[in-house]
Amino acid sequence: MEEVMNCPIETQENAETLLAYCAGKLEPGAEVILETHIKACPQCRAFCEGQGTLWKALDVWEAPAVSADFDRRLYGRIEAEGSLSWWDRLVRPLRPMLIRPVLLRPTFAVAAACVIVTAGFLLESPNRVGTVSPQGPAAEVIEVEQVERALDDLEMLREFSLVSMPETTAVKSM
Amino acid sequence: MGGASAALDYDAELMFRVKEGDGTSFALLLEKHRVSVIHFLYRMVQNHAIAEELGQEVFLRVYRARSSYEPTAKFTTWLFRIATHLALNWLRDGRNERAQERIDDDSVDMPARQISDRNPSVEQRMLYDVKLEEVRRAVAALPEKQRAAVLMHKYEEMEYSQIAKVLSCSESAIKSLLFRAYETLRARLAHMA
Repeated sequence: MEEVMNCPIETQENAETLLAYCAGKLEPGAEVILETHIKACPQCRAFCEGQGTLWKALDVWEAPAVSADFDRRLYGRIEAEGSLSWWDRLVRPLRPMLIRPVLLRPTFAVAAACVIVTAGFLLESPNRVGTVSPQGPAAEVIEVEQVERALDDLEMLREFSLVSMPETTAVKSM
Repeated sequence: MGGASAALDYDAELMFRVKEGDGTSFALLLEKHRVSVIHFLYRMVQNHAIAEELGQEVFLRVYRARSSYEPTAKFTTWLFRIATHLALNWLRDGRNERAQERIDDDSVDMPARQISDRNPSVEQRMLYDVKLEEVRRAVAALPEKQRAAVLMHKYEEMEYSQIAKVLSCSESAIKSLLFRAYETLRARLAHMA
């Protein structure tokens, strides 16, 4: 006894069955039932012929081979990131925003505020959490140097943002 | 189904080893998924150099996220979610300018010929080039989400459920999206029968 199926196109149900059939991914049992239907249904037949043409056309498009040095470059970047200073690791999440200049300003201001607050805390607070301090004065010198370096990096970041910002930009949201 | 589950477990297991500092496991994941990710990115942005650059960023992000990795989804779902996100951002950042450059410049990104004859005639080559260009333009003309869905469905052979997770929408939305996309492509490439 033949199983009769509803037309996937007319009923708008299980239309993906036709796609799966055209891609050759339908289970054998379902395939037989659908093929019986397709023989009797001009709409589904036209769909399958068109989809078959499309698959063949898409098959023409091969992607080029991956470069031989892809892995080497990737590992180079991983290694470079491994030797990042604490400041670079702090700033790295903000870097993608440098290509969205409109968003940079408030973010930059927030980042700058965080650094200044941190710098102020380090300068005023003799005890830092999570670090082993050497003798008091030496520790303070180290802290001041790190803060100065941070402020220098911040200045560099600000200058870089001024260089990379175009004069006119469209506003885009992330 | 058992095979797919086993593959899921294997990728997740490798990623857990990467989390513990095993570089060899990261190399294995890279080896296994590098080509599919970059090919997907290439067809999304239609520029080989950009595809590799974005591909580097995908695997860098995977590596960076190793310490907090939890297998809440299939590894490939996560991987392609990152890849799609980067590709869509790149496309939106330079939509008009780059699209024109991409379509006009076919000198660099022409893939290897898929012609069985090792010495194709000039006519065969010209026909191939014309066909390829039409396919590229047709796919490039699709809305970005439809394009991503078609590429994952056709070339990566992903199931609807996985594509839905990658694109953060329902399975029924993906089926509808794909149906519309294929309808558009069929109409545009019908003459290639």
